[in-house]
Amino acid sequence: MSTSCGNPTVEKDALMPRRRKFDRTKTCIKCKDNQGNVTIRHAVYCKECFFPMLNQKFKRSLEPTINPIPDGPRKKNLYPPGNLLIAFSGGLGSTVLLDLVHKGYVASRKPREDADAAVRKKDPKNEMVWKEVHVCYVEVCGAFPAMRDRTEDVRRVVESYDGFKFVPLRVEDSFDTKWWESVGGKPDKGELRVDITNEDLILLPSSNATSPLSALHTYLSSLPAPTAIPTTLQTLTRLLLLHTARATSSSHFLFGTCLTSLSVSLVSLVAQGGGFNIKEEVQEDWGGEGGRQAVRIVRPLKDIVMKECAMYAWWRGLEVVGQEVWPDARQGIGGITKDFIVGLEKDYPSTVSTITRTCAKLAPKETPAGICTLCNRPAQGHVQDWKTRISIRSLSPSLASPQQPSLAPYLCYMCHTTLTSKSSKKPSSGSSSAGGEEGNEVPLPLWVGARVRRMEREEMRDKVKEFLLDKEEEEEGYAEPI
Amino acid sequence: MSEDQILLKVEFGGGLELLFSNEKKHALTLPARVPADNSTSPAPSEKETKPLDIAYLIHWLRDHRLKERAELFMENDTVRPGILVLINDTDWELEGEGGYEIKDRDEIVFISTLHGG
Repeated sequence: MSTSCGNPTVEKDALMPRRRKFDRTKTCIKCKDNQGNVTIRHAVYCKECFFPMLNQKFKRSLEPTINPIPDGPRKKNLYPPGNLLIAFSGGLGSTVLLDLVHKGYVASRKPREDADAAVRKKDPKNEMVWKEVHVCYVEVCGAFPAMRDRTEDVRRVVESYDGFKFVPLRVEDSFDTKWWESVGGKPDKGELRVDITNEDLILLPSSNATSPLSALHTYLSSLPAPTAIPTTLQTLTRLLLLHTARATSSSHFLFGTCLTSLSVSLVSLVAQGGGFNIKEEVQEDWGGEGGRQAVRIVRPLKDIVMKECAMYAWWRGLEVVGQEVWPDARQGIGGITKDFIVGLEKDYPSTVSTITRTCAKLAPKETPAGICTLCNRPAQGHVQDWKTRISIRSLSPSLASPQQPSLAPYLCYMCHTTLTSKSSKKPSSGSSSAGGEEGNEVPLPLWVGARVRRMEREEMRDKVKEFLLDKEEEEEGYAEPI
Repeated sequence: MSEDQILLKVEFGGGLELLFSNEKKHALTLPARVPADNSTSPAPSEKETKPLDIAYLIHWLRDHRLKERAELFMENDTVRPGILVLINDTDWELEGEGGYEIKDRDEIVFISTLHGG
């Protein structure tokens, strides 16, 4: 008799039976003639039918999102109101995306002549859909010592295509006023810092100028848990790209997230407390406040699995520069989730799409209370109250007086957790390395300060609005919602 | 080429070559019959044998060509999830995966999908 606590009979039966890797014959299911070369989720394709099939999936995913108001799947005219920005990481997905966009929308098309495409509302097949196409790469080597700078490798790949404009950035640009001004941000009146040891995240004005790189190091080293570093770098990269999209007058912004990567990011997003933004992880419109042109973020490879990307890149002879693996990334939530999903895809190829299909059915119960100042995604309100209700904690009463401005009310649950949730393995070592003479004061990415000040101003205006006679003039520096 | 030797070409792609001295293409000559337990050390003659197959090739590459971090190439006696194998430009899933018996002048490609993305 087994001494184990488990139930061996049930556990044996619980194993999911494996299907054959291909359904019937080895003949291509499209042409029904050639011998198949690849199986994609149990379906067999020959090499000739593989490329049109993949291209069709790509266009079917992208084109309904191009017009401001979707025309449905039977669209005819493509008239995007702005340019196109492609996020390029050097990884497999974005390498395939770059090639598909170039083949489908840039190569063999002449420059778009009509500046105001929205007025003309027609899509001559021999003209480019977007007037300009920019490709942006964010180098993260500044965050880790001894990591190789891949900007020149990436530049070589991007410049091997004609018709793309390369925009290289560095992750430390998040703290660089030169970059901020270059994307239309107004110079701030004194940098904002935050006390990261306090859960209220008290805001402190600071005039101590530091270099963007040392500001990045201070910010990352003050994070309370190692798993917060990849999350933070992803947020910084995403916001750098979004502001670049706006600065390049882009109405569309494409990520090379394939179905496999999307499933990984959805599961790890939920694991990190970002379930409220599950819809935005697939597609979102960003920055449309104040009558400005919103940037539509699209993932046109979201129906294409990683295996299809790899086959496409191999058969097309594309150079995959690759991304440096971040230290500790494999042990982080994202790394562990990726290992799980990639293993799942190998053994049960149709299961991975179930994750995205299930996530597509989810919607948050509450309506958003605002936009998170750090990640710029919709945020639920009263994050701290909710945290107090759902967790058993023995914190000393908050030291923040009501008058002290704090960042916490302007953050979503995930960003607040990333900045404050300590690792269980490393109790309260939190900000000891935050460093230097500034103690626990941590610089903030520049878009955070701009948005916090604007929101404070709006709150103040709401409080006194009944006493105002005329509409207050916009104060210089906060007029533009950044 | 004698009947008891098989000539084959192996190629690595998608960044997998970094584990193999950064060499993408390898021309190999392997015995036509190999130990059934995939052991790649010189075998005593009485050991049970089988025709050279992909499963043996994977073990042989790990033991004789891989320079670092075997866990990034192999897992549970096969290639790690995320590595695709092509046999003469065809997905190995259509050819019987590890059990495919390698023929003279076959071309086997290993592609990593995990090189960022």
